[in-house]
Amino acid sequence: MDPGTRLMERVRTRDVAAFESLYDTYHRLVFGIALRMLADAALAEDLTQAVFLKLWSAPDAFRGGAFTAWLARVTRNRALDVIRARGARPESELPSVDVPLDSDLEDDVMAGIDARRVHEALRRLPSDQRSLIEMGFFAGVTHTEIAERTGTPLGTVKTRIRAGLRKMRSLLGEQVAS
Amino acid sequence: MSDMTDMRADQFEDVALYALGVLPDADAARVRALIEGDADLRREYEELRGAADSVAFAAEGPVDSARSARMRERLLATVRADAAGSTSGVARRRIGPASTAWFWGTGLAAAAAIVIALTTGLQEIGLRSDLTTAQRSTTGLQTQLSVSERVAAADRRTLTDILSPDSRRLDVAHGTVIVRGRHVYFALSTLAPLQRGKTYQAWYLPKGAKAVAPSSTFVPNAQGVAIVELPIDARTVGAVALSVEPEGGSKAPTTTPIFIRPLS
Repeated sequence: MDPGTRLMERVRTRDVAAFESLYDTYHRLVFGIALRMLADAALAEDLTQAVFLKLWSAPDAFRGGAFTAWLARVTRNRALDVIRARGARPESELPSVDVPLDSDLEDDVMAGIDARRVHEALRRLPSDQRSLIEMGFFAGVTHTEIAERTGTPLGTVKTRIRAGLRKMRSLLGEQVAS
Repeated sequence: MSDMTDMRADQFEDVALYALGVLPDADAARVRALIEGDADLRREYEELRGAADSVAFAAEGPVDSARSARMRERLLATVRADAAGSTSGVARRRIGPASTAWFWGTGLAAAAAIVIALTTGLQEIGLRSDLTTAQRSTTGLQTQLSVSERVAAADRRTLTDILSPDSRRLDVAHGTVIVRGRHVYFALSTLAPLQRGKTYQAWYLPKGAKAVAPSSTFVPNAQGVAIVELPIDARTVGAVALSVEPEGGSKAPTTTPIFIRPLS
């Protein structure tokens, strides 16, 4: 069980100290995702507040699994909401980020990752795969928009994203094993 | 046969796109249905979703200590107030089960009265629980609303400042520095894509100072466009600058500035 899951169990019992630990452990990740997606520190700060208040006010929204991954997806969804609120792009052009209610996808590889390992794995990806994956994750765009923005054929975008994710998975697995 | 193979490969690629979260709603629903009915696709999704989720860590970085402390303080003030408010509710809930201990030792009339009282009590507990949940939900919604309102207000003010005829527009490489009252904005385009681990960082030179001070870091969109308000007071600033820095920002510029622009 990861530290976040343990802390969330205590947050459910209204344990403020556990919530403080949760914030201290994860606010850099939440703020970082928000800042990367919104490119605005003040908005990223507000979004971080909103995400953590949600953890406190509705702790049952997390029903187990890999807490960090779940938190990242919740943050990403909130950032997409802000992008929607800005009204800059039609709804149909925004991606749908699935946040499973009951995640059973935690595994040994994902349990062992941290920022350093991810940076290293991304560095070792071919640049054409890395840039598409990072754009997909942080820019709040769909695959067709990625293709348009990069001038890459749609089929190539799909192939590279899949190959990149498979390679990422393999690299992270190697690092955890070593 | 080849068409079948192509179609299968397409499905696996769609699963990768779904795992990364880059499909629009309609396509995402289609792929979700595929995954639910196909063990191989489900396995692929489980493997790739972990890798996709891990990309989030690439954004993790240091948060400047003042900002971190400010967020912590605001958040904990709300949480402590909420925790204090809900304590009496928890205590009240514990009363219910204990009060049923002597239920079987009483007469029928008394039992009926207790049943009624217990039912009422349970209903009350249920209602109180619902109320607590609703209050928490309201807190969350109010926060979301507050965030949305602030976003809208900030966007309105930025647009007004940028478009206002009384704004000063100072040409710089890749765009314009706009000054209106105490507000300073960078309106930039065609900024070069950043290498991994790099960010754009704004700087300002306080009037009378000899060294620049760090300001906002930002990442332009895919077209190289960025509109950024600097959290500074234009009336106390002599010049602004822009450079590329390591992610998280620097205390002093580590690369040649893209531009340096006096505000006077």
